[in-house]
Amino acid sequence: MALLSVRDVSISIGVIDPVEGVSFDLDKGEILGVVGESGSGKSLTAMSVMGLLPRIGGRLRTGSVVFDGMELNTMSEDGLRRLRGKRIALISQNPMTSLDPIIRIGAQIDQVSTLHLGLNAAAAKARSLDLIAQLRIPEPEQIHRAYPHQLSGGMKQRIVIAMALAADPDLIVADEPTTALDVTIQAQIIQIMVDLVRDRGLALMLITHDMGVVAQACDRVVVLYAGRVAETNTVEAIFADPQHPYTRELIRCIPRHGQAPGSLKGIPGMVPSVMDYPGGCRFHPRCTQAIDICKALLPVLEAKTTGFAACHLSEARVQ
Amino acid sequence: MTTSPPTDALVKIDHLTRAFTSGGGFLTPKRTMRAVDDVSLDIPRGKVTGVVGESGCGKSTLARLVLRLIDATSGKVSFDGADLAEQSPATMRHLRRRMQMVFQDPYSAIDPRYTIRRALLEPFQVQGLRQSVAEADAAVEELISMVGLSPRMVASFPHQLSGGQKQRVGIARALALRPALLVLDEPTASLDVSIQAQIIDLLEKLKVDLGLTYLFISHDLSLVRYFCDRVVVMYLGRVMEILPSADVAPRHHYAHALLASNFEPDPTRRKVITMLGGEIPSPFATIPGCAFAARCPAATDLCRTTRPELMDIGGGHQIACHHPIE
Repeated sequence: MALLSVRDVSISIGVIDPVEGVSFDLDKGEILGVVGESGSGKSLTAMSVMGLLPRIGGRLRTGSVVFDGMELNTMSEDGLRRLRGKRIALISQNPMTSLDPIIRIGAQIDQVSTLHLGLNAAAAKARSLDLIAQLRIPEPEQIHRAYPHQLSGGMKQRIVIAMALAADPDLIVADEPTTALDVTIQAQIIQIMVDLVRDRGLALMLITHDMGVVAQACDRVVVLYAGRVAETNTVEAIFADPQHPYTRELIRCIPRHGQAPGSLKGIPGMVPSVMDYPGGCRFHPRCTQAIDICKALLPVLEAKTTGFAACHLSEARVQ
Repeated sequence: MTTSPPTDALVKIDHLTRAFTSGGGFLTPKRTMRAVDDVSLDIPRGKVTGVVGESGCGKSTLARLVLRLIDATSGKVSFDGADLAEQSPATMRHLRRRMQMVFQDPYSAIDPRYTIRRALLEPFQVQGLRQSVAEADAAVEELISMVGLSPRMVASFPHQLSGGQKQRVGIARALALRPALLVLDEPTASLDVSIQAQIIDLLEKLKVDLGLTYLFISHDLSLVRYFCDRVVVMYLGRVMEILPSADVAPRHHYAHALLASNFEPDPTRRKVITMLGGEIPSPFATIPGCAFAARCPAATDLCRTTRPELMDIGGGHQIACHHPIE
């Protein structure tokens, strides 16, 4: 049984339904990429896994989120609080959402292991220093005493990763962890995260809009479009043989080295607003291969040659 | 893409430096940083010159200096033979018709209280160009169709448009006065990839149709390599390398590291990430030698003490490195 099992999750916030029918599994030692453009519902999906939807006025309308055999949807806030930070850790895009600007770095990391692992102050500090070193930060003692504002963005994000690891979690949810960073720093952070997952047998849910990051780091991929799963597959198949026209177009939007000038086209139109999703397949107004049924009937996620896709086109037609 | 050296430069940048100072008050010592440090560069006519680098490398300051939106501390920018620093306010205003900018954030580039029509006519008013209603209508219609928007949108307000549509309006505004040079400062950085590709496609078409010259500022190396004829790599205010075409392999260690950090959308070609030592130094630090020496795997004492000059190594490929990659 998978460590995390998300089944048919639909999320409502007030009168809008930004996420519908999202399902995926995530196992230990696995990196799952959740990819999509803005408004695809990827961050909300992450919040549902953390049990954080009520905090933003949202709720799970249908579906279930099962983590290690426990249903998070019906769990009490107390129960969720014991899981969060201890067994499920979050890394957000902006490290300053996780760091307190007026508390020393060291005290913030120490706190995680004193709270969740019951370590005494000396043991917590030793553990923090070890984690800082594991994230390849030079001079851990000095960093332990520093305040967040004394560190660069890339260093702060490493500290947030150290905090996430401090309680030895089973699952890390990383929401665009490198989007705000420069490319050389992004490459290093992704490398560090991949190594940690492999070494410790963690499960990582990596939310990103960047297909380059997906290709570099992930084992399996869930492609979201307008709040629904368009396709889910192994990373190799997603790039070599995409089963949904949206996945294929999204990959084509990234310029490759040696690509002929004038051949980068983009996807016509734009991502629809949650207020007016089109009927039928939500991608059909932008899809070059749409047929009549695409306008009328919402496709369900079904098995294709490889993986699963929500598309009416038979495999022979998807090209 | 050809590798012929640029012969006809629309803009010539000559030993350009811009320093910013901070502090210097009662309690804080005065500190100086050189956001752009002794940069020399030609922007060839009808080509796309890309400037790529990480945050704090001075690429946006360079863009503003080229348009004289800020003044240089030393050095010279000439536009079509005219030294920008020597122009009177009146001639400068006239010159500005020929050089325009497209900003990163289309949300703040347009006045939220203006209709799209009024936003598109603003450049004419700023320049004191009087138009009859019929002329204004014609100008708006031409501009809006040039950037692929529906004429129905001219009565809309910016908040009714998507990010991609707003950036199209930003481009239309920049084109209103028929410029020769467009400075594009991260024009797609805040857009989704499917929209980014649309905007790049539009910019490619406009360049050919209108014979434009672009200075394209970006942190996205794969985009720069696709879109640009020449690639200028900057680090801490200095030019590290100028690649005469995107096909030429970089020989500067920083440019190489930048390229190696760029993930490709292909899981069969995963990168092996070599950790660059250290951090980007503080911009206020005085670095006697090469700006990249502290993080460079090939740095020697020479690199730490003597600043390498930008040298042409053939075919317009320029590099500032004592020990280039073979």
